[in-house]
Formats: sequence, structure tokens, C-alpha cells
Amino acid sequence: MKIESMKELIQQCEEEGKTISEVMLDMEVENSGKTHEALIDKMTARLQQMKDTIDLGIQDPSSSPSGISGGDALRVNEYVKKESILSGNYIGDAMSFSIATSESNAKMGIIVATPTAGAAGVLPGVLFSLHKNDNTPFEKLVEGLFTASALGYVIANRSFISGAAGGCQAEVGSATAMAAGAIVELKGGSPEQAVHAAAIALKSLLGLVCDPVAGLVEVPCIKRNVMGTAIAFSAADLSLAGVKSRIPCDEVIKAMYDIGSEMPRTLKETALGGLAATETGQQVKERMFKKKGGFE
Amino acid sequence: MEFKSCFDIIGPIMVGPSSSHTAGVVSIGNFIYELLGGPPEYASITLYESFSETHLGHGTDKALVGGMLGMRTNDSNIKSAVEIANKRGFIFDIHLQDYCPYFSHPNTVKVEAGRQGYTMVAGGASLGGGLSKIFLLNGKTVDIPISTNENISKLAQPYMCSLKRQTSLGGSYED
Repeated sequence: MKIESMKELIQQCEEEGKTISEVMLDMEVENSGKTHEALIDKMTARLQQMKDTIDLGIQDPSSSPSGISGGDALRVNEYVKKESILSGNYIGDAMSFSIATSESNAKMGIIVATPTAGAAGVLPGVLFSLHKNDNTPFEKLVEGLFTASALGYVIANRSFISGAAGGCQAEVGSATAMAAGAIVELKGGSPEQAVHAAAIALKSLLGLVCDPVAGLVEVPCIKRNVMGTAIAFSAADLSLAGVKSRIPCDEVIKAMYDIGSEMPRTLKETALGGLAATETGQQVKERMFKKKGGFE
Repeated sequence: MEFKSCFDIIGPIMVGPSSSHTAGVVSIGNFIYELLGGPPEYASITLYESFSETHLGHGTDKALVGGMLGMRTNDSNIKSAVEIANKRGFIFDIHLQDYCPYFSHPNTVKVEAGRQGYTMVAGGASLGGGLSKIFLLNGKTVDIPISTNENISKLAQPYMCSLKRQTSLGGSYED
């Protein structure tokens, strides 16, 4: 069994009266021959790793080996606790959890790729913010991971999910679409609403280039993950309010593919253009390559 | 439909910083490790395109070497793979090239490696999300998808007969 489009995914859900999460789990059971329980356990281990990464990252003041990231998760977490945060607690917590994850990633810490390591901060940020602010239980968060994986699965097979192939829109864009859909389903929205949220989120990140300073997954990647969490919550809210994406999600994904295909090589993870090519970006690169072997 | 499982999208559990430049490359290294039946004694590595531009920032070299030493994607020793290789006497060199002549993808690598008198040449591409594939093996075009969920040892087994025995002159012939 395979699902090749968002349209098919919604149809499948509606025919069987199931959520996206349930349909994905059924499909995985059928394709892998493993039991529901075994697959849920496997996904739970991934969720647990996300939590461990956040718990570790949020109290880590250290810099990355390059010295261009680190310590911001702690900073944002303190701010969320003390001040009245303008973007509210949901986005505030999601931002600090997201930085915690992406900062750990930059230090070669252990993370869960969702769908990639460069975009690993968005989904954990959003899910554990729901956990903290809504008391959404662990089991529900695991369901959210299945929902997100279904959306990511369709995007990955119809377009791309790596920055080298399609720019940051393919990484943070896909992760944000997945997170937006997962929020909608966790908040009781329909499969159709979840897919609209994914479309709205992805549309707002179309065209985003992959221009990492010195080729490191740090600047601007970490902060783009943070922005992904804010967009995911906004897109989910819009969709839950009944707003629809005028362009169907499958066509948005096609647009992402076309844009990524036309994007010049300098803006697809080669560190040759965009922010990587700025004066400061170049200085960082020179500093890195002067060190023996680049690192450590 | 290259992505077949929800765990290709949520996962792998891996050391950072990049699923395509780190995790997917560990798997390519693992395939070589399994094919040779252990870590190589020497390897000549060619990195192309995005890999050649950004491998230092992403630890692509550490990932490939770590993979060839048998480390899996979530092994925190990958960070120190180069030092570990040096200690164990695994000799390798890295070459950088713009475009891969064998396979059109920005994240491609070619490895020539040898162990216990056998040699091999493999071309690998990392497709994103930790998924990768071997597209070239000992002069033949192949299509061996590697997901981090799979048993890579089993995956490599059918190809072990394609290993070449090295001659004393350094050339090779079909075994």
C-alpha cells in the first residue's frame, strides 16, 4: 500500500473514518509486516530522544566548535520564564525547545532527523510546547509524529526534503508543513484541515534558499527552525479557524519542486551564495579553514 | 517513491549536524564496511558538489570514515572518527571535485577501498533524511537503496562476490 498525494491521503482517511496518524500507522503495518505495538514503540523511542535532546540542550550554555552558535536556548528559556512573552507561551516554549534541539545538532549531539537534521528543531519544538502548555500526553505526541510523517512522506516522494536538492524550503519548509498538520490533528481538526495547514505553512516558506555560513548547520539554520515553529502554529490556527489554502497542497508541493529545481547551485547548501557569501559569512569561513582540519 | 517508511521521515536517531551530509554518509560507509567484511585498511575518497564544498562543516569526512569503521548513525564516536581511524592504522585520503560524472545528485561520493587483499570501488549518493543509495559498484551501475532502518549487512551480502582481488602490481582483476 502506498499513498502518492495529499488528495489520496485525505480520501483514504475519509473512506475509513480515520485520522492521518491512523492511516499512516496502518500503512506502515502493511508495508513492514510489524505489529501496531512494535511500530508505536519505535516511534515512542524517537519522541523520547527528542525530549532527552531538549532537556540537555536547554541548559547547555556552551558554544559549538565553530563558535558561531550556542547558549541561545538557555537565553530564550529564561526570557520565556521571566517576561511576558509577546508571541505567547505556545510559540515561546516552541522557540526555546527548537533552539535547544538545533544547537545540540550543531555540536554533533544526538537528534532525530525530522525530516532532516537541519530541520530537526521544528517538530520537537512544537510537540513539546503542546505537551507543556496543553498537557498533551506522550501517547498523543506519538500520534502527532505519525501524522507529521505521513505529510513528510508525501512531500519527500513528490518533491525533495534536502537543502542540497531543493533549498531550505525543502528542509524547514517541509518540517514546518509537517508540524502544522500535526498540531491541527492533535487539536481535533480534520485530515483535510491538517493538509490545508501544511499547505499554508509550506507556501509561506516557498523560495527559501539554503545558504549556510561556512557550510555549517548553524547560521541561519537554527533560527529558521525557530521561525518554523511560529509559522506552524499560525498556519494551524488559520486552518482550525476554517481558512483554506486556495492552492491545493499537492500543487504547492509541485511548486516547491519547480522552484527548487530552478534554484541556482550557489543557493543549495554549497555555502557559495546568500548569507554564506556575506562579508561576515566569508570571515567565519576563513577563520574555520585556518584551523587545522577545520574543527576542534 | 524513494521514501517508503514513516521512519525515513521521522528519523534516523543520529548525531548531527546533517541527515544528508552526516547520517546518509554513515550508511554509505556502513555498506562498504559490510561489503569488505570489516574496516578497510586504506581508502581513497572523492567528494563531489555540495559534499566537496561543505564537508568540513557537516563532518561528512568523519561520517564516512566512521561508517567504514562500523559506527552506526547514532554513535557519538563519529565525532572522533578521524582520530580513531588514525589510531587503528586506517589510511585514507580525500579528493574534492565539482561534478560527479557518474550520477547526477549534489551529494555524491566515490570510495575506493581495500581490505585483506580485496579491493572495491563504490559510488554513493545521500538523498536526504538519512536515506542513501549505492549507484556504482566495481564498475557496474547498480541501484541499492539504503535506509538507516535496514540491516545493511544483509543488503551488502549479495554483492560480496563482486569484490576484486588485488594483484601485487596494485592493479586488479576479477576474482
